[in-house]
Amino acid sequence: MKAPIYIAGIGIISAIGDDVAETLAHLTASESGVSGMEVLPSAYAGTLPVAEVKYSNAELAAISGLEPWQTRTAQLSMIAAREAKENSKIDFTKWRCGFISANTVGGMDRTEDFMKDFLADASSGDLHDVINHDSGDATEIVAEKLGCTDYITTISTACSSSANAMMYGARLIQNDMVDIIIAGGTDALSRFTLNGFKSLMILDEQPCQPFDENRRGLNLGEGAGYVVLVSRRVMDSEGIKPMALLSGYANANDAYHQTASSPEGNGNYAAMTGALQMAGLAPSDIDYINLHGTGTPNNDVSEGTAIKRVFGDTPPVMSSTKAYTGHTLGASAGIEAVISILALANGVVFPNLRHQTQMKELPFGPQTSLLEKPLQHVLSNSFGFGGNCSSVIFSKL
Amino acid sequence: MKPLYINGASCISPQPTFGTEFPFEIKEYHGSRLACVEPDYTPYIDPKLSRRMGRLLKYGTTAGLQALRDTGVQVPDAISTGTGFGLLDDSGKFLKNVIEAAEGVVSPTAFIQSTHNTVSSNIALAVGCHAHNNTFAHKGFSFESALTDAQMLATENESIRNILVGAYDEVTDYSCQIMQRLGLIKTSEESNLDLLKHASKGTIAGEGATFFVLSPDRGAKIYARYRGNKLLYKPASGAVLSSAIQGFLAGHGGGVSDVAVLSGLSGDQRRDTLLQEVNTGLFEGNTILGYKHLCGEYMTSTAFAMWLGAMILHSRVVPAAAVLSGTPSCPQHILICNSYKNDYALILLSVA
Amino acid sequence: MQTLKGQIVEQLNLQHIKPEDIGDDQPLFIEGLGLDSIDALELIVLLQQKYGIKLANPSEGPTVFKTVRSIAEYITAHKAA
Repeated sequence: MKAPIYIAGIGIISAIGDDVAETLAHLTASESGVSGMEVLPSAYAGTLPVAEVKYSNAELAAISGLEPWQTRTAQLSMIAAREAKENSKIDFTKWRCGFISANTVGGMDRTEDFMKDFLADASSGDLHDVINHDSGDATEIVAEKLGCTDYITTISTACSSSANAMMYGARLIQNDMVDIIIAGGTDALSRFTLNGFKSLMILDEQPCQPFDENRRGLNLGEGAGYVVLVSRRVMDSEGIKPMALLSGYANANDAYHQTASSPEGNGNYAAMTGALQMAGLAPSDIDYINLHGTGTPNNDVSEGTAIKRVFGDTPPVMSSTKAYTGHTLGASAGIEAVISILALANGVVFPNLRHQTQMKELPFGPQTSLLEKPLQHVLSNSFGFGGNCSSVIFSKL
Repeated sequence: MKPLYINGASCISPQPTFGTEFPFEIKEYHGSRLACVEPDYTPYIDPKLSRRMGRLLKYGTTAGLQALRDTGVQVPDAISTGTGFGLLDDSGKFLKNVIEAAEGVVSPTAFIQSTHNTVSSNIALAVGCHAHNNTFAHKGFSFESALTDAQMLATENESIRNILVGAYDEVTDYSCQIMQRLGLIKTSEESNLDLLKHASKGTIAGEGATFFVLSPDRGAKIYARYRGNKLLYKPASGAVLSSAIQGFLAGHGGGVSDVAVLSGLSGDQRRDTLLQEVNTGLFEGNTILGYKHLCGEYMTSTAFAMWLGAMILHSRVVPAAAVLSGTPSCPQHILICNSYKNDYALILLSVA
Repeated sequence: MQTLKGQIVEQLNLQHIKPEDIGDDQPLFIEGLGLDSIDALELIVLLQQKYGIKLANPSEGPTVFKTVRSIAEYITAHKAA
């Protein structure tokens, strides 16, 4: 039996709020963050909706306390990770503390500014814009600011990245390498990812409709979400009452295609059953599934099919909150972990916005209105390119 | 945590390390950039599939598959990898296309390949591995995080016997130009073999893909034992680093005098200060080996170092070109002691 | 159709295939030339870049990209339109 890992704090920033309180308010009020593009300087402003954090980099820097030239990825990370730390009320100086973050683009938002000048003339381009390019850079900046430098690393497994960051953090604590880990992920919108998903023809030109028969694709979003993971020892010694237990998790691979999910959802199935097995739970114990639910034709049918395989024709209540936050890629599992914990703590299931028609392949559909209901166990799914599939389970204490 | 046996290994690097006998014939370069000696990929990757792959995806996948073949393991029980910059060439290519097309119509292939987890997932796809699959992208801690991932897996789960662990990075025209502008790499045409002979500014850019099959079980062929690693972020001084090294070695039941040091000196005097300090202080009298003059500097170069260390322990031959100081006698233990900017890493290997 | 075959080989980087080796009616996907969904996206890019034809819905792909002849017919039909 593995030592239990508790969630002692949460922090979030996304299109639906700068912190946990604002996020909860928007979730409860069914207010989506998907809207016209105002911050990202892209040719698709006006045609592609996104879920942006409506602050310029300078405005974000004023909140984060980082330098305005530092990457948007780092700014978002700083704001959410700092909230998680403060939310935990733990004195970090007494413990071995680490920071495990995730992202997919690193400092791409600045690199693309640099590249424009650089491509025209290799001796031009502001080098400040490119030195923070690699994925690990944002992690080190934030870890140092938060005093979590006893173990630092970054995971980049596409859209499952921050789920894997939480798992790795939990395992570091279980293996007694650290006492506290802030884990999660961050990603900023960039023209690189926007054009990438555009070239794959999976972006919705309207606000997305996850798990709908007539879904057209996803909306990209940005933000960051983190949880503070602690051992029993920390919890007891600090005299804190944790928000939830990280009761199960699993990382599996679909090994089917580079970008597409298998029709049977094999990787998704393995991730969900693996997490249930670790938690020692039966499928019927799960009260709510926070879906990966991107809104692409491929993901939703594959995920839905896997859910049918695990839970049968009458699965638990489910919803994709990407209709609120957009798909925040490397941050999505961190953001959805925070949302899942909010659901658990408040006994409420947030609706799957804009859902109209049940998918013909599935005998069930998502929750479409706010539902108040005591929740004991919540499953959160994250699946990504390269077949990387991860599921985590949060339980009420 | 459990020590693991290195039962399989494969390395594609700027040296002839792939498909050759150890010790390999040292290759000399002039200039600031070392590129991998690329093998024939056809025994590993179907040309139908390789047509879309960039250089790193090809040599990364090949190194991974060869490590499995070396061990006779068809499907590993987990895959964990590290990469500093990921698939940098595809990232640059896609960004260039987007900028040149002014965000118009662009081909998706480079974007698909540019994701950091492309190599580890491509290997999973090639061998049909549905198990744990992870990719770390954290500067000088990328490979070490994958090693720890593997070691924790082997400790946590009895059914996990063979873990494919590796690391890979590439230099591109863009990255080389940018590193030169940042003054990180030299501009002279100096020989790579002279890199560590005198201190100056800048290093040489390198690249490579190195994979291992690690297992709690003794394989048919064991190169060495991987004992563990330790990461240190921004140690304040040589004394702090020295004390961490002593603590790490003591934790593994050993002392400073037992090890040969495989030092990650980069030839850049601004960055080598602390490593130099422990080499001349704590490790005075120890055999000191170097490796970055052979593979160049890159974020996951410690994977090359681990391969070199394992080959030395296995073959009982220390290539003369690797010896920086001390007697080149065959060690029982090798301590890799690296730094990449603020990231300091220790890796301990022992004879099988 | 010869020009189109050359463009397909180039766009998809089919190193092991010569344009003249592709039959006019040979299936391009799966059992034929072995192309996949990523190639379909590449072919959409090709139509747009070389012929100014926009295939708005990727679900049309399988019909349009069945063979070189079907692509050629689609180009002729949509260029005239």
